[in-house]
Formats: sequence, C-alpha cells, structure tokens
Amino acid sequence: MSRKKSRSIFIAMCATPALLLYIIFMIIPTFNVFKMSLYKWGGYSENKKFVGINNFIILLRDPNFYRAFQNTVIILVFVTIFTLAMALGLAAILMRKDLKGKSFFRVIFYIPNILSIVVISAIFSAVYDQKDGLLNSFLKIFMGQDTSVADLPQYLGNQRIIVYSIIVAMIWQAFGYYMVMYMAGISAIPESIYESASIEGMGKFRQFFSITIPLIWTNIRTTLTFFIISTINISFLIVTALTGGGPDGASEVVLSYMYKQAYTNSTYGYGMAVGAVVFIFSFALSAIVNHATKREIVEF
Amino acid sequence: MKEKKLLKILSAVLVLTFILSGCGTAGTGETNSTPSESTSAVPSESTVEPQNLKVAAFVGGYGDQMWKDVVKAFEDANPNVTVELTLEKELEDAIGPAMKAGDYPDVVYLALGRPDALTETMVKENGLLELTDVLEMTVPGENAKVKDKIVPGFLDTLATNPYSDGKTYLAPVFYSPCGLFYNAGLFKEKGWEIPQTWDEMWKLGDKAKAEGISLFTYPTAGYLDGFMFASFAASGGPELFNSICTYGEGVWDTAEARAVFDILGKLAEYTEPTTVGNANNENFKKNQQLVLDNKALFMPNGTWIVGEMADSPRADGFEWGFTALPALAEGGDRYSYTFFEQVWIPKAAENQELAKKFVAYLYSDEAAQIFAKSGAIQPIIGISSMLEGDNKLFYSIYDSGAKAVMGGFAATDPVEGVNMHDVLYTSYNSVVSGDKTVGQWIEGVKEASNKLRAALK
Repeated sequence: MSRKKSRSIFIAMCATPALLLYIIFMIIPTFNVFKMSLYKWGGYSENKKFVGINNFIILLRDPNFYRAFQNTVIILVFVTIFTLAMALGLAAILMRKDLKGKSFFRVIFYIPNILSIVVISAIFSAVYDQKDGLLNSFLKIFMGQDTSVADLPQYLGNQRIIVYSIIVAMIWQAFGYYMVMYMAGISAIPESIYESASIEGMGKFRQFFSITIPLIWTNIRTTLTFFIISTINISFLIVTALTGGGPDGASEVVLSYMYKQAYTNSTYGYGMAVGAVVFIFSFALSAIVNHATKREIVEF
Repeated sequence: MKEKKLLKILSAVLVLTFILSGCGTAGTGETNSTPSESTSAVPSESTVEPQNLKVAAFVGGYGDQMWKDVVKAFEDANPNVTVELTLEKELEDAIGPAMKAGDYPDVVYLALGRPDALTETMVKENGLLELTDVLEMTVPGENAKVKDKIVPGFLDTLATNPYSDGKTYLAPVFYSPCGLFYNAGLFKEKGWEIPQTWDEMWKLGDKAKAEGISLFTYPTAGYLDGFMFASFAASGGPELFNSICTYGEGVWDTAEARAVFDILGKLAEYTEPTTVGNANNENFKKNQQLVLDNKALFMPNGTWIVGEMADSPRADGFEWGFTALPALAEGGDRYSYTFFEQVWIPKAAENQELAKKFVAYLYSDEAAQIFAKSGAIQPIIGISSMLEGDNKLFYSIYDSGAKAVMGGFAATDPVEGVNMHDVLYTSYNSVVSGDKTVGQWIEGVKEASNKLRAALK
C-alpha cells in the first residue's frame, strides 16, 4: 500500500466518528425541523397531517410571535453592543503591564461565565427583588428607608423594563468570556509596535483604535457570530429560569415561544415552524454581519 | 513496516472504541432516562405466566414513597407480576422521548395542567385508552365495583371524560379542595370575620390596607384557575361553568361571566404590589410567603400548600385557615373548586389488561390508606375517616356549605398559537400591572375561545 493511500485511510478513519456523530446529531435533526414544520402534529401520536406552509402563514399573523421576535432582536442588539464594548475595553486595560491585580480581575470577570444559568437566574432574582433586592435596597438609600414597596421599580414585574433586566443579566454573564478571547488576541500583538507608537507620540486611545482593534479584527469578527448564536440560545435559558416568559408573555423570546408552542400547546409542527424561522434568521444574520465586517486583514 | 502495521491496528481499535463507546453511552442514556425504582418481587409460585407492568408516576408534593409502597402491595397480591416503576419530578422528560420513539409505559400518573402538557397532548391526539370498563371492574381484593367506590361527581367531569361523550379516559385520583388560604391566627388577633360575600371582602380590604396589609396575592397567575372556575359557578351556577368549559358561544358576553372579570379587576387594585414580579416558577414562593408574613391576607391555593411551606418562617401565632370563595351577593352560593389528578393508560400500552387491573387496585382501601399516609387523598367514599390534622379542616369544606365544582376545559384539536391558559389566567398579570384593562382581557379571552370552539372534538 502506498504511503499516500494509507495516510488517507488513516485520516478517513479518524474523521469518521466525528462525521457520523455530526450527521446523526446535527444534520438529521435540522432536516427534521424543516420537515416537521410542514406538518400538523401534537408530538406523540401517529396522526401527522401534512399542511404545507400553513404553519408559516399562521406564524405571520401571530402577534405573540412578533412580540417574542422583537424581544429577541432587542436583546441581540443590546447584548452584542454592550458586551463587545465592555469586553474589548476591559481586555485592553487588563493587558497593560503596569496594572496592579490584573490576574485577580481577570478571574473575577470570568467567574460569571462558569456559573450555570440557573444559578445566574437565582442571583438576579435576588438582585431584582422588589422588596429587599440589591438594587432597590440601594435605591432606598436615596429615596428614604420608609419608601413604600409600591413606589420602588419592579424589575421583573414591569413589562416595559423586564427585557432590559434580562439584557443586564446576559451581559454580566457573557462579557468575561469574550474578554478572555480578546485578551488572547491582544497578547499576540508584539509589544514593540506599541513602544514605537508611544515614541511617535501616539496616545493610549489612539493606540487602541489604530493598533489593537485592526490587529484583532479577525478575532472580533469571529466573536460576532458567536454573539448571535449564543445570545439566541442563552436568552431562552435565562428567560425560562428567571421569568418563565412572564409577566403575561412580556419577556418571551423566540426559542421560549417555540418551546411553548411545541410542548405546552401541543402544536409541535407549529413550534418547528418557529424553529425553522429562527434557524434561517440566525444564519442570515451571521452571513450579513460577516459580510459587513469584511476588511483587508492587517498583519504585523 | 511492523510499526506502521501496529499503528494501523491501534488506530482501528481506537476508532472502534469511539464508535462503540458512543453506542454504549446511548444505551445507558436510555436506561438513565427511565431510572426505574424497580422493586422486583420474585414470583414465588409461578402458576401463571410472569407479567411485567411499566408504571410511570410523577413525583410531586406527596413524595415517592407512597408509590413504592403501593407497587409493593400490588406485587404481593399478584406474585406473578413485576412492576417496573419510573418515578420522576420531570416525568415528561423521563418518558417523553421514549414515547416519541414508540415505547410507552402501561400506566401513567401525570395530571392535566402541567407546564409541559403531556397529558393534554395525549388527550388532543386521541392517545388514551378508554377506561369505562375499568369502572365496571371489581376492585381487586374487595367486592365493590370501582364506579361505586368513587365519590359521585368525579366521573362526570371534562377532566375524566374529555370528549364529553360519556366515556371515561382518565381515572380521577388524589383530590384537593382549592380556595382561599389565610392566616387564621391573624383574623383571631384582629377580630376580623371571614368575608362571606365580595362586598364584605372589599370592606375587609380597606380595613387591612389601613394596617399596611394587602387583601390579596397569588403565587402565579395559573393558580387563578380554581379561583375563576369557582367564581363562575358562584356567579352563574354550574351551567355557566359548563358553558365556559365547552367554549359556549356568547358566554363571555353574559352579565354573569362579566361579573367575575369585574371582581378580579377590582381585586387587582387590592393585590400586593410585589406579586406580579414574583408570579413566575422561580419566585412564586415569595408570594406565598406574603401570607405567612402577614403582608397579604388571602391567596388562592390547594391543600399541598401546608407541606410546601412547612419549613418557611412565619408570623407569631400563624395558623392555616381555608375558606371557599365568597358569594357574589348575600345568600348566594359559595363554591370551592376541586382539583384532582389523573391516572391514564396510553392506547399504545403493551399490557392493557394488567394496567387496567392496576388502575382498579388504586381504589382499594389498602391503596387509599397507603396514599393517605403521604397526604394524597383518593376520591373514594368514606375516605374522611382516614384523615387527620389540617387535612380534616380542609376536606370538611364541603360539609360546611360550600358546593363543589370540578373539571376543566373540553379537549380540542391543538390550535396553533392559541392557549386558553395564557389568555384567561396569565393575562391577569397585565391587569394587575395596569398594562391591560378588564375589557382588553375579556376581548382576548373571547377571541381565543372562538378559535378553540371551532376546534372542539
């Protein structure tokens, strides 16, 4: 057997298990989501009825779906902007040599990412508690200790605030992770570039925007795709554990709405139609973002 | 060359191990998903063929010991039977995937009204075995027929006969009267009377407000189901209740139905201000705690509340009190909704005959006694003699003049995007927070009701 041939066989054998698992657990289920979105089915019986694109037509007229979709987009935009800014800024600060206690801060900022979503929800339900939560106890310092509970803001009860309450929890959870990713990118930039920039009289801010950001641009682009995928997923987890979609559906996001339709409402096919829309939406959005952020790669 | 061959063999072995270990975990995963607490009794005298029965039971407030004990007693009485028992808090997650793949348990204890709605889905998809003949069976080890042991009324509900065709598909088990729970100690201390009508309720609400106590709170809006059903019955009699449950045309426009919405609209103003923010599955106990802390007077709940809040701190002199819903006017009827759970057999179950025998056995005095020890009260005649403590007070509510109302909404085909639970109960959060008016609430209910009527089975 030639060397080349045996090499390819070896590679094929190594790749097969992963490929098989990928097909079984990713390709086939995704295909099934699209297939089931064309059926009316409760989820357990044999009574599957093909209804064509009827599920999608109902979806177009479903105000609850629009509300969930709107919430998802708001969360997506705010979480991405704030997490990106915070993670980048903190990464740049923490990579500076002369900062005291930087490894301590690195650990502190990363901790929320290790916690499970259920723990995070429990923490934030304590922070947001209207009566004796962290935030309102703090507010009472300014408003007076005998302020009646009714006058304090309801972070989880007010339908106009609740989405932002969720956004804050998500940013807190995510920024440490992205910070570490950016730090890895920044650490690859040779110190000499910054040194020569300083000698030329470039300030720290200018260095950040003209050296750091262009040099880790590929890194940032990759994380933008991560933002889209993980925000859609994690918003479902946080909403399920923190608010259950309430009050009265005000904090519902697309995936929690999909879950409710597929299971609670026994309309599995309809839930899968929501799933198909989410799938296409996140793919399209990633493609757009990827395209819009395309730049000539700057190297050192 | 030899080395190369060795490498090849090694890699082949490695790949195989990966693939096989993949299969292996899949296998254990399956058994994990049904962690069976199987109490396998070895048939001592196997004159008959050994039989296997798969029982899946939800583990809720009553705990899991009672099911282990009942299964043990059933096996002792039937030495040729081995029961494979699945006990899970999230029973849907344990049996759901297997059911989707065609592997069904024989008997399932999982009530209607759970968030995952597995039982509702089975009803909507006609996946349940008819149990009418079980009612005619003699209770194993006794002389009475099953239907003669069950308290009258329990078999005439939409929660047991979901298609309103006189055929029973779900067997009623473990009932609990629902109503308003309060701190009886506080009422004694202040010298307040329990309101018999809503007018008295509002007066009490103003009195309590002056002392910094809110009149009302609710754990989550879903707990309003018993509250609203009982109020509808109090307002328009059982006829209104039945008409609502079958999505009767124009029923939401009747003055009697509107009266209930108006009461709830007014009650929203008396609701404790932190209630809505905590009315979710994560924080509902904070709302229940309000009653223990004397921050709110009444909350709708069921008898399980005593066990659920057993370890919570409480105000001095706290004592559980329980009352039916107030009447709409002086001398009007007072109602208490009877919540009960269900046991069912999937149509696709393998051992249907044995499953039916097991269901019949659940109504035996022997089984009822085992259940009652854990606080689960079977709806069988003469059960009251087995009760003690708080339960004696709770279950005597119907002796002190309150009328019972049971059941729930009729089964429909699934309707995409329409959910009665959400529009009727969950929307109340918006009424309390001021995001919806009572009128908007009723409009939403009407719209959903119209769509569901068209899908009635």
